[in-house]
Amino acid sequence: MSGRGTTSLTHEQLQALGCIGKDMPAVTSVVPPTFPPLLTKPVKKEITATQDFKILWKEAFLSNMRDSSYFTVPRTEKKDVQSYSDQIQNALEGSKDKSKAEFPWKLMPNELAPQWKKRKTQDPITVSKRKKARSENIVAHLKSLEDQDKSDEEPETAVKKNESDEEVEELLEEDEEMDDENDYGENYFDNGEAYNEEDDNLDDGPVY
Amino acid sequence: MSIFYGKLCSVILKQVFGKNVQSVAECLFDSISRSLSVIIKTTNLTRREATTALAILIKFRLVTFTPSVSGLIPEYSLNRDAINYILRYPRYVHLAQTKFGENGSSIVEELIRSGCLPASAVIIKCMNNYDNKVKPELYRDVFNTMVTENYLIRLPVPKAREEVVSEVCPTLSIEDYEVFLPPDLDLMELMNVQNGNMQHCRDHEIFWQINFERFHQDFRDQVMVSAVEKKLGASAGECFKFILKTMYTKTNPWQQSYSNPFTLAEVKHLIDKSSKNLELMKYLDQYVSLIAEDSLGFIRKTGDMGGGQFVVDFERSFEELAYTTVESIITEKFGSKASRIFRVIRMKKYIEQEDIQKEAMIPAKEAKLLAYSLVQEQFLQIKTIRKAGGGGAGPAKAFYLFQIKLRQIVKMLLDICYKALYNAITRTDFEKNENKRLIDKSQKLESIVDAMRERGDAEEYIEEIRETMTPPEREIMDNVKLRLKTLANAELALDETIFLFQMYLFHTAYRPPVKTK
Repeated sequence: MSGRGTTSLTHEQLQALGCIGKDMPAVTSVVPPTFPPLLTKPVKKEITATQDFKILWKEAFLSNMRDSSYFTVPRTEKKDVQSYSDQIQNALEGSKDKSKAEFPWKLMPNELAPQWKKRKTQDPITVSKRKKARSENIVAHLKSLEDQDKSDEEPETAVKKNESDEEVEELLEEDEEMDDENDYGENYFDNGEAYNEEDDNLDDGPVY
Repeated sequence: MSIFYGKLCSVILKQVFGKNVQSVAECLFDSISRSLSVIIKTTNLTRREATTALAILIKFRLVTFTPSVSGLIPEYSLNRDAINYILRYPRYVHLAQTKFGENGSSIVEELIRSGCLPASAVIIKCMNNYDNKVKPELYRDVFNTMVTENYLIRLPVPKAREEVVSEVCPTLSIEDYEVFLPPDLDLMELMNVQNGNMQHCRDHEIFWQINFERFHQDFRDQVMVSAVEKKLGASAGECFKFILKTMYTKTNPWQQSYSNPFTLAEVKHLIDKSSKNLELMKYLDQYVSLIAEDSLGFIRKTGDMGGGQFVVDFERSFEELAYTTVESIITEKFGSKASRIFRVIRMKKYIEQEDIQKEAMIPAKEAKLLAYSLVQEQFLQIKTIRKAGGGGAGPAKAFYLFQIKLRQIVKMLLDICYKALYNAITRTDFEKNENKRLIDKSQKLESIVDAMRERGDAEEYIEEIRETMTPPEREIMDNVKLRLKTLANAELALDETIFLFQMYLFHTAYRPPVKTK
């Protein structure tokens, strides 16, 4: 949209329209005030019962949305100086009973769902091997328990081996969970704030 | 889309959904579509914040998605027009209340608050709001009526796995007959699930949403009926209501220019069946011809079959309404004389400066000044017609004619309305932030007083509690409340003007001529 008063007429047009001469006010190049006085006062609009209903409903709707889980704000940055009122405010905000937001994930792209994991397609042979290994572990574990009853010498090592296998599996699972947090945008995005903070050993001169 | 509309959308989303959603929407507003990684980089939000914001926008049908060209990632695009509808939420609720009563309004309210929901969830939420005082069958019946009358619309569902084109985003589809097919609800199941898990409901994967188009159709009818009512009286208004009802039986509601023809006999038949207005029944012919001959031009006679064949002329009627609105804006801004000049130019189509003062009967100096102001504010345009020949030295002779380009004026006024709305919302937020402590205090006091009244406490104690707010505080609070109310009322009035202009632009949009072989 062209701004207010941007329509400019040529000198020729103005002359033809009779807008040049003593009739017209002198052209000023001063920036108009931000809040110019109104030439005519607008007629005050009456508030009917219908409008009143709409105004009250909107107010209630906005406060309802503000307390709902659909109202999202960025994570607050830690201030240098924390005031006591901030703590109270945060506690009050935290105490608000926000109902959990429900989303129809099936109607949305997979990447938006919180449980979404970008898993690599696993080879069915490796999966079956892994399953087999697990079942073997259980058999070995049972065997070791049987051996434990019979003799107290060797079983400890077998149990330890099984335990270590389980730990490895747990770690693998944890690793997969950590993949979720491996967000490229979050880890590698440089917003330029860290510029000049680190010494890149550039001042040391050339290295031969 | 103008820059002011962008700003308005941003401030509306901030008010309703908070800053995260606002920054994601701002990022999407700047381009046709964007992927999630680009959104994260641009907005500086974490992945979780960005995905939540996008999920909210999709749930409220403000963002749509499609697979990218490569088909590997989804791309999101903002539904820019729908953001404006948030300002109309109070109007939707009010319309539902007048048409379907309290139950209808609470169904619409729940759908507005959640964006989209399964039918059973809507009914359970409505029942919980009223502490189960209303029976579920009442809500079910109203819900079904609203679906049959197209006020609620069913959302498409994901396609079966075999038919899916892209793995990255679901392919949504719905059969035409299912869009307004009432849900099959089991009341026993609803009662059992009321406090349990919604997953047990058989319709938990079928989502419903408000059909904004249907509500807008009613708003459009209201605008036209109230115009007839104001000009030709209540009975003429009622007559026009029945004309529209008859028209809808034969015409697509969003037909652009004019409706399909209908006969007077059909209108008469409908009025005999459903009206109790004896005067209207008796003088129906006169009322119809009065509306047809009026300068508003809402209906046009096209033949004599069946007591007279008519069409509803949307193009002309909204042009007429837009002209009236522009005229009243000019009167408010520049006074009645400027409005008279505008009318003269409209009547003559093209007119020279000297003729304006004669036709409008305004002194030459004043007419010049007003015409110049109108040109400067873009309410008038100048057409230059150069005389043939000439050449040589000196300027070529030419005629300078004033003219009106309504479409251009309406677009300019729409932008001003967006700007005014943005200002009103920003000012409201400022007032609320400035007086936050007082507003909170007054709200707490009111809730305490209400609780005391319910308990039946003595008036003396209530007065004591009230006095905790000092007289100066009370005075400031009254002023703030008045200012906020005035701003909210201005927002409503602006939205009504915006709606009228949008209707004008829709019904007078350029249609390419149909090529005949």
